[in-house]
Amino acid sequence: MLIGIDVGGTFTDGVLLDKGSIKVFAKEATDEQNLSVTLLKVLDKLLEDQDAAKISRVVLSTTLVTNLIVTDSGPRTALILMPGFGLPYESYDQAPDTYFLKGCMDFRGNEILPPDQDEIRTAIQKLKELDIRDIAVAGKFSNRNQQHELLIQTLLNKYYPQASVIISSHISQQLNFPRRAFTAYLTAKTSKKWNQFIDHMQQAIQERHIKAPIHILKADGGTMTLETARAVPCETILSGPAASTMGGMALTMNDGKNSVVLDVGGTTTDISLIIAGQPLYASQGAKINQKLTHIKSFAVKSIALGGDSVLSTEGNEIRIGPERKGAAACFGGEFATVTDAFNFLFKMNIGDPGLSADNLSPIAAEMKLPLPEFCQLVVDKTINRLKETINGMFKEWEQEPAYRVWEIINRRTFHLDRLIGIGAAAEAILPKLAEELKIECFLHKYSPVANALGSAAARPTLTVNMHADTQAGLFTIDPGGNQGKLSHNRNLQLEDVKEITRQYLQDLAAERGMGSYASEAQFTREEQFNVIRGWDRLGKLFEVGMQITPGFIAEFKGAD
Amino acid sequence: MKTKPTGLLFFPAFDWAISPTHPEREERLLYTRDQLFEEGIMDLPQIKEYKPNLAEARDIARVHFCVPDVAAQITEAHLISAGSTLVIADALMQGEIKNGFALVRPPGHHSMMVSHGNRGFCNINNEAIMIEYLRQKYKIKRLAVVDTDVHHGDGTQNIFWHDPEVLFISFHQDGRTLYPGTGFMDELGGPLAYGTNINIPLPPRTTDIGIHYVLEHLVMPVLKEYQPELIINSAGQDNHYTDPLADMRFSAQGYARLNEILAPDIAVLEGGYSVETALPYVNMGIIMAMAGIDYSHLREPDYDPARFKEQNLETIKKIVKTQLQAFQNREETVQKNRSRGQEFDTIYKNIYYDTDYISEDQTERLRLCPNCGGFRVILSSAQHRNGKYYDVYCISIPSYCCSDCHEQAVDMYQQMCGKGGYNFIYLQDRINDQHKSFDSKAEKETVL
Repeated sequence: MLIGIDVGGTFTDGVLLDKGSIKVFAKEATDEQNLSVTLLKVLDKLLEDQDAAKISRVVLSTTLVTNLIVTDSGPRTALILMPGFGLPYESYDQAPDTYFLKGCMDFRGNEILPPDQDEIRTAIQKLKELDIRDIAVAGKFSNRNQQHELLIQTLLNKYYPQASVIISSHISQQLNFPRRAFTAYLTAKTSKKWNQFIDHMQQAIQERHIKAPIHILKADGGTMTLETARAVPCETILSGPAASTMGGMALTMNDGKNSVVLDVGGTTTDISLIIAGQPLYASQGAKINQKLTHIKSFAVKSIALGGDSVLSTEGNEIRIGPERKGAAACFGGEFATVTDAFNFLFKMNIGDPGLSADNLSPIAAEMKLPLPEFCQLVVDKTINRLKETINGMFKEWEQEPAYRVWEIINRRTFHLDRLIGIGAAAEAILPKLAEELKIECFLHKYSPVANALGSAAARPTLTVNMHADTQAGLFTIDPGGNQGKLSHNRNLQLEDVKEITRQYLQDLAAERGMGSYASEAQFTREEQFNVIRGWDRLGKLFEVGMQITPGFIAEFKGAD
Repeated sequence: MKTKPTGLLFFPAFDWAISPTHPEREERLLYTRDQLFEEGIMDLPQIKEYKPNLAEARDIARVHFCVPDVAAQITEAHLISAGSTLVIADALMQGEIKNGFALVRPPGHHSMMVSHGNRGFCNINNEAIMIEYLRQKYKIKRLAVVDTDVHHGDGTQNIFWHDPEVLFISFHQDGRTLYPGTGFMDELGGPLAYGTNINIPLPPRTTDIGIHYVLEHLVMPVLKEYQPELIINSAGQDNHYTDPLADMRFSAQGYARLNEILAPDIAVLEGGYSVETALPYVNMGIIMAMAGIDYSHLREPDYDPARFKEQNLETIKKIVKTQLQAFQNREETVQKNRSRGQEFDTIYKNIYYDTDYISEDQTERLRLCPNCGGFRVILSSAQHRNGKYYDVYCISIPSYCCSDCHEQAVDMYQQMCGKGGYNFIYLQDRINDQHKSFDSKAEKETVL
């Protein structure tokens, strides 16, 4: 049996899944101040009268790290940057406590500017005086040569052993220094509280005699074990929308259709795209606090429009949301909502339809409109906003930059087959939207809890990226921030680099207890360039990427 | 008011090369990609990134006489490179951006009006295609192209030679010391467009100081007087001190400052083959300057300003003085040429295609119209690399043409089609934006 728990902004949902059937469902109001208490309440409800020994895996999707970041509640954290030449320093606004030090590499990993040890020691002294103990270090092109970052880490360990240090090349070796620096900074800032949470969870799980592995859902729709998660708290941001997307895929069992998944909650709707059976990733990485990170995440648009969005008037205009003031009127709430308008107009018989009409009438009267006309306006406005957002997402996807001739010649075109509705309010709103878009509308009896179901069934994911430069004789490989000298590099070919990448992925997957998925990994990137100087080839540059894509664990064969 | 962003269209064509070891190869913009991405400059609110689009055959036929047809002279990469400049042009004209940089390859500024093949790594002229598109779609009348590539922009010069409404300024390493061996001071434009083609042949080893002198004392005053609606930088990067094909001493800071002062509306990448030690930094510099980002912190890893002393300043001052004079005398000279009373002005020339080893013979005629800049006729013959010999007759009607010239040119095309004697007869009618070609053997007309 599988357990999936999804912590949302308003409610935390949990499911106990047995061979595709939800055996137990639990729901609790989310206590943002005390997430582990909420999580354990839901877990205990799920485990009531169950044999804990039969649980084969537990997956948690949690907003803990997102909340820590958004509320800026981690410890005071310093960011040490080595930007070298290029953009002005004032363009780096990743962290309030930023220190700029000498030291810089170029794109081939050559040292451009050596670090200054005296300057480093002065900075360390300053950090000690301020008692800042959480420190992130990032250098431009440290993804090609991390020596400067390692040097600072070594000096910090030596002169300031109380400090915890994160270096950016260990977090990511992708290009984009500001994103790498910001991700390293967020990691340093959230690391301690995140690890406390994991300790707490492990203890609680042990107390409940669950022997099954505990996984955490990532922003890329895959899971990782609690132990793996310790080093990478930021991988868990935006895992809520990832749970929705995986839920949508779980209900349709990934049948290869082009779909849009709408998770219509109380306050917000999360929208994501599934293209040819694969969820669409954000090309730039996850964005948090208006800044981009190197966290791989789905391309999700969240809009402040949900089933419980309150209706009101503003002059002669209808105002929808953005706030939620409890449940929809038909469920006994105090205010008329979007759900009530759909309920009344289409006679959907949700909850107590009489209550919908009672609460809608005064607002319609305020606007001097007959009730059906008023409801029609609310419906049109709601459908239009959703439609515009979906179309905007297509357009953005089609307009993503491309750097190769074949990508331009084989233009992206997209034909939407289906809308997958999940979340509590999907049933009320989405059939009309699908009708408007002239596509199939997929709703399932498990739609309201699909996010928890998606978490329960999601399989682990892993992405490995390798860069090799045969002229310099250097390679870098991620995750793990490994860099080193290539052996036998003279005749290295693309096939060899692919094989090294594959082997690395296989070993890492085995280490992380996900070895059984390694054979399903696919190459996502294969680039090679000849390095020509004069008329001679001096070497080759390779970039290879390989991924275990999002999917479902073997035990899950589809929802009943 | 929030200022608009700078548009950036980065198209490195990572899967296109002239040949594996050619300077125009896949690797050319690889390190530029690394630098731009690592700096994260595309994430800044001052930059808006665009996706390439394909140019259409008629966009090309509006500018070039491709022999025998457009398809024969281009690859898909050329359509993307040219099409990308049109994306930036649209973004600018529709008010989405304050200026834009098409950082694209393959380049184009050595491509002339007639294209039999590849010259100086170019088959079609990206800037010219963009200019005629801007004229056609947005009714822009007056433009200036400043060619900052180290090589003379002979293709662009050729296309706008007779065009009084396009000011072409090229500074470059002296043609006696570098490909294509043209771009001398006395090449000042056709008889009715005299003075709107200004060449500044610079002595080898000219530094930032020399180039900035030209900019401040010649280019900027001339632009101020000419008052173009748009300024285009034909932005080569091979004046750089590390370029392997040329011998100048310009720096990344120098390029940034140039673009800050020139303030082009659109920049289009041309040459520049120091792929690792110049391009990443020069491209950053151009983008930063165009976006108004402080570039004082940018430099090449090995840059040492003390290494370069400007030794050519006296020569440069003389060139500037002479060319300023020629520009100021332009209207007078055009008046004189017009009053010669000739119907057509004729020149004979031979054009060599260095990449494709083609030698083309041309007779070019301009109608010395009393009312407009006149229409242009080119008789061209060349043997292509596949052994085929082409003898073609080309008529070009410019967008500023008077009705008299237009009528005469259209008549001429019809007569020539009836007469035969040429493999192809072409009519480029920019007034009606209709571009015809007549295959004499097949007796078939194609209209784009």
